[in-house]
Amino acid sequence: MAAIVANRLTKTFTARVRPSGRLSAIRSLVRPELREVEAVKGVSFEVEEGELVAFLGPNGAGKSTTIKMLMGILQPSGGGASVLGLDPSRERVELSRYVGAVFGQKSQLWFHLPPSDSFRLLGAVYEIDEDDRKWREAELIERFGLAPYWDVPVRKLSLGERIRCEIAASLLPAPLVLFLDEPTIGLDVVAKREIRQLLAEAARVDDTTIFLTSHDMGDIEKVCKRAIIIHHGEVVVDESMKDLRHRALSLKHVGVRYASPVNLDLPTLSPVKRTPTAASYEVDTRKHSLAEVVRALASRGELEDITIEDEPLESVIAAIYSAGSGAEAHAFGSGDGSLERLDEASSDA
Amino acid sequence: MIGRKRLSPTMRPLGRIRAYARFLAAAFAVNVKSTLEYRVNFLLQFFGMMLNNAAFAAFWVVLIARTGNVGGYGFSDVMLVWAFVSTSFGLAHIVFGNVRQLGRIIMEGGLDVYLLQPKDVWINALASKTIVSAWGDFAYGFIVLAMTTGADPERWALFVALVIPGALIFAATFAAAESLAFFIGNSSAISSALTEFMLSFSLYPEGIYGSGMRWMLYTIVPSGFVAFMPLRIFKALDWRLAPVLFLIAVAYVWLSYALFNMGLRRYESGNRMDARV
Repeated sequence: MAAIVANRLTKTFTARVRPSGRLSAIRSLVRPELREVEAVKGVSFEVEEGELVAFLGPNGAGKSTTIKMLMGILQPSGGGASVLGLDPSRERVELSRYVGAVFGQKSQLWFHLPPSDSFRLLGAVYEIDEDDRKWREAELIERFGLAPYWDVPVRKLSLGERIRCEIAASLLPAPLVLFLDEPTIGLDVVAKREIRQLLAEAARVDDTTIFLTSHDMGDIEKVCKRAIIIHHGEVVVDESMKDLRHRALSLKHVGVRYASPVNLDLPTLSPVKRTPTAASYEVDTRKHSLAEVVRALASRGELEDITIEDEPLESVIAAIYSAGSGAEAHAFGSGDGSLERLDEASSDA
Repeated sequence: MIGRKRLSPTMRPLGRIRAYARFLAAAFAVNVKSTLEYRVNFLLQFFGMMLNNAAFAAFWVVLIARTGNVGGYGFSDVMLVWAFVSTSFGLAHIVFGNVRQLGRIIMEGGLDVYLLQPKDVWINALASKTIVSAWGDFAYGFIVLAMTTGADPERWALFVALVIPGALIFAATFAAAESLAFFIGNSSAISSALTEFMLSFSLYPEGIYGSGMRWMLYTIVPSGFVAFMPLRIFKALDWRLAPVLFLIAVAYVWLSYALFNMGLRRYESGNRMDARV
């Protein structure tokens, strides 16, 4: 059964056009000029129970607006949504019993009080029996390692410790679906790694469906199994992380350093960076055989060093953002499948 | 698993009321604890507000000594009006501390946190804060009551019975003004003006106002229901009118709640960074 369904979800905001010039500004007081901004344009997707989905897009793509419509915070202008079989716009209160949310930028913990007090209040908010709350709290304290700062005011916690508490707090009512909006924003690498591990564990232990937005590729790669990419309010990519990674794997960065200057230009491949004795190449393995590129480079002169690296996933996603439209995005990195021969390059050497 | 267990049918009305009572008690406890985190600040604001209110009493002593009764009120009447207004106003801001922040919360997208929780947004948002200085206002009314009427238990009970609807009317009126933020964006000018009007008109004798003004004081700026009507009931020691005042308070709460929920459909959220304090 699908845990989350977005069906041609649309959101339009009305914005006032800021006039330039004093007269226009006075005129706009009487007759303001309004314009409609379509933040989300008919977004459709389904997320199955227990799935871990990354919801990606550049700033202003419509990610947060879509999530807020899925949680019932915003009313859609068109289309519909269903989360756990409930309509968020009409059954928000009922839905909020089974859905958790972590906004990296918004806290549900009391700033001046220790997490223990906020958890007690959240128990009352979610109408959890006292015995159940204590049992669940003990489980979360152990799993998230909250014991050292359980009774320390939140204002005295580091950002990483606070986010741990935020995520644990959102899991207190054992939600079936967890929405996370930039959960690792501002965290250092160690804290990020810990948060990702805890999220993956939460999904595994509680079988929670996770729907995550982040600009951090680490969050996406370590936690999610599927990526939905939205741009200009439309879904441009919806595929498994495996397929998305495959796009990245097809592009290799090859770096070489020679003992003395050599001709660095291959017949069908030019370096993207070069010095007289070193160069780096971007090799699309769908067009060129990596083995032949390496063979050709090795035959150019006395090699001191050679490195082969994958294209970072971040670059793949950045290219999708830049491409914009679905057709362009899908076309990215998809070559025609033929391998351009480098024999000539080899024979040149 | 708790979440799975709670997939059971929705609670009955009595259970729902109990759940809300538990929630409000927990929110109140958290607010008080949060306030007491800074004890010196609490004491300064508590006594500072009482001192501030007492300064007005000194003004009235001088005025009434020179002019005699003002608008039909003697000094003890003026002090009793102050007691009702101060304690009702204080109680409204102790229990519903966000009542005069609601417009800003709406405007800056701060309702998201409350919309994500299975509690009524209006109650949740209003009750999630307490105002420190309001404790001084709250206590001041009781001190004045003790000084003007002594230790008569019946009068104290009636006073409490009258300040509760007064606090609800204060909270409902301020919340309604703040809810205009849904419709006009920034409602701070209207809500500040309403707060000033309501307090200023409440703290002067009813007799000085003309009939047109009085009509306003029992409708859109309901000073009459938080000051003058409670004083009349209190002086007559007439318990029969206390439920009437309570029903009036319920009507104001209902109107304010309806306005907020009408506006909530227009809520546009926001991306401001927030912490709950």
